[in-house]
Amino acid sequence: MAEAGMIAVLVEFADALRAAGIVVGSGDVLTYSSALARLDATDLGDLYWAGRTTLVTRREDIPTYHDTFVRFFLNSTTPMADVLRLHEAAATLTTPAAEGVEGEPDDNAPLGWQASAAEVLRHKSFAACTEAELAALRKIMAAIRLTPPRRRTRRTRPARTGRTPDLRRTIRTSLRTAGEPVALHWRQRQARPRPLILILDVSGSMADYSRGLLQFAYSTRRAARKVDVFCFGTRLTRITAPLHHRSPDEALRRAAALVVDWEGGTRIGGCLDEFVRTWGRRGACRGGIVVICSDGLDRGDPDVLATAIHRLSLLCHRIVWLNPHNADQPPLGMAIAKPHIDELLSGHDLASLTELAALLPKLA
Amino acid sequence: MADPTSVADLTDTLLAGGYLADRGLATAVYVAMSLRRPVLLEGEVGVGKTELAKVIAARYQRELIRLQCYEGIDTNQALYEWDYARQLLHIRALSEHQLADDTTVDALFGPKFLLERPLLKAIRTGSSAVLLIDEIDRADDEFEAFLLELLSDFQISIPEIGTIAAAEPPLVILTSNRTRELHDALKRRCLYHWIDYPSPEREIEIVLLRQPQVAQALAEQVVGAVHRLRELELAKPPGVAETIDWARTLDFLGETNLTPAAADATIGAVIKEHDDLTLVRANLDELTG
Repeated sequence: MAEAGMIAVLVEFADALRAAGIVVGSGDVLTYSSALARLDATDLGDLYWAGRTTLVTRREDIPTYHDTFVRFFLNSTTPMADVLRLHEAAATLTTPAAEGVEGEPDDNAPLGWQASAAEVLRHKSFAACTEAELAALRKIMAAIRLTPPRRRTRRTRPARTGRTPDLRRTIRTSLRTAGEPVALHWRQRQARPRPLILILDVSGSMADYSRGLLQFAYSTRRAARKVDVFCFGTRLTRITAPLHHRSPDEALRRAAALVVDWEGGTRIGGCLDEFVRTWGRRGACRGGIVVICSDGLDRGDPDVLATAIHRLSLLCHRIVWLNPHNADQPPLGMAIAKPHIDELLSGHDLASLTELAALLPKLA
Repeated sequence: MADPTSVADLTDTLLAGGYLADRGLATAVYVAMSLRRPVLLEGEVGVGKTELAKVIAARYQRELIRLQCYEGIDTNQALYEWDYARQLLHIRALSEHQLADDTTVDALFGPKFLLERPLLKAIRTGSSAVLLIDEIDRADDEFEAFLLELLSDFQISIPEIGTIAAAEPPLVILTSNRTRELHDALKRRCLYHWIDYPSPEREIEIVLLRQPQVAQALAEQVVGAVHRLRELELAKPPGVAETIDWARTLDFLGETNLTPAAADATIGAVIKEHDDLTLVRANLDELTG
């Protein structure tokens, strides 16, 4: 096949990848074709691996890449089919089977007579914010700055006093005094805000608050610099990226579309455990403030919750629990979690943001 | 040794160095070496990301320059630093007359007083070096941003001296354990490869390649047990490095079979978390079965 023809096919393949949701720049396609120039472009294995190493930059995208590749190059209607050595296909392509695709954790938790641990997958669509709500959002966002406590980093900056001498500046200025270091300069360790992690309960028992929670998350995301937001009911979803949109309506809509278990059952233990395993251990909440908004009604195994919250308390700096249901008799989940919680607030809407904002700087 | 001429050639060379690379990894490294692009390796802990750089350096007779990243790493530790003590001594030895002279002052901030750190060293060594930027996810965002210029142009600007560029860029291997998501801009400049846990057959080969004294039967049993361990809900599943360690430990103790008792005595080689230990000890019989 002619060189130009080959490149046309590669560009078309890149388009197919983009359609499948992988971000592919035209520079990446150039790299892909120059990589293939060094390899054998008619060999399916080379075609596959060169593309995977040059076009994919995230592990999560690997299954999508694989599917798109198979669909694009192994479909008999594509012009490439006859030039490829198709018989090698089966031998060289190891299917990254369930890689990156989250397997559904089997729920061994004993089901209570209330079947709310059963997983209900549903999307929730929020009506657009009313004028009054938008005004309230704007007002709160203008008024509140969340200032998470700061921690000292290993990085230093020039300072008037300090423990570490700033040799570079000292030498520089000593040139003026014939090499006599008259004035000593110092460096001091910098302080940085701690990360803030929101974990929101969107299960059935919290249905009345889910809208408020999302607005709360949205405002928090705008008010502080380093915020990570997760939702859970029966499964954990990360909604940090969609919440970043400028328009509150659009941000809420996108975030709501990503969560699939609105108003279903609750598995706080399982979800916190998943958070600790996939995010916490990798360092997402290390040294951070974890804010959990939930009523503590858990239908999962209490032991799982106990271990998860214990591990979480070891990984992060402080745990703040916002509980909208102020019951006299705290639910079991709440009772289990309590020893590991540093602060317990009763908040469920935008007003709780004020309370949280006042509390945050004190958690140093 | 000259650069590899094909993927198969590279695979053979690595194998001779005791590293078993699969097709995907070999392709990524081959493309990186021919196109002179950095390659970013991600994967679980202990699947051989760092080892790969070491083997490439050894087999292709290149100098391995390693930069271990950590939080707060900055240009003084990664790039270059002035030798302040020597500068000070030098200034004091100069007479007042000499200090007025511009060239003397320029010499103070010249190559003579420059201390090389890994990145500068790699740029100067050029293509006869393998630059390993290890655990980039441990460094902070600022350092990642700083690497961008280096990785795309392979040049470094030192205000007092000027720009130092590599005639032939070194092979750059970045590794990450995914403790946090890396910035897209950095990923765009690199080739990417995810190293997965190997299949049981392959892992047996790896164990026998690294520890030839271990008996085949023992290696098979150890690898089987490790694969069952990875299926358990462990906080920290064992990597290939742990498999090799375990086989070696058992062999060193003169065990020829992985009995529950032997596994119990040596479990510290694979499981390194208290909670996991309890879980594994409860299932020893099935694991060694």
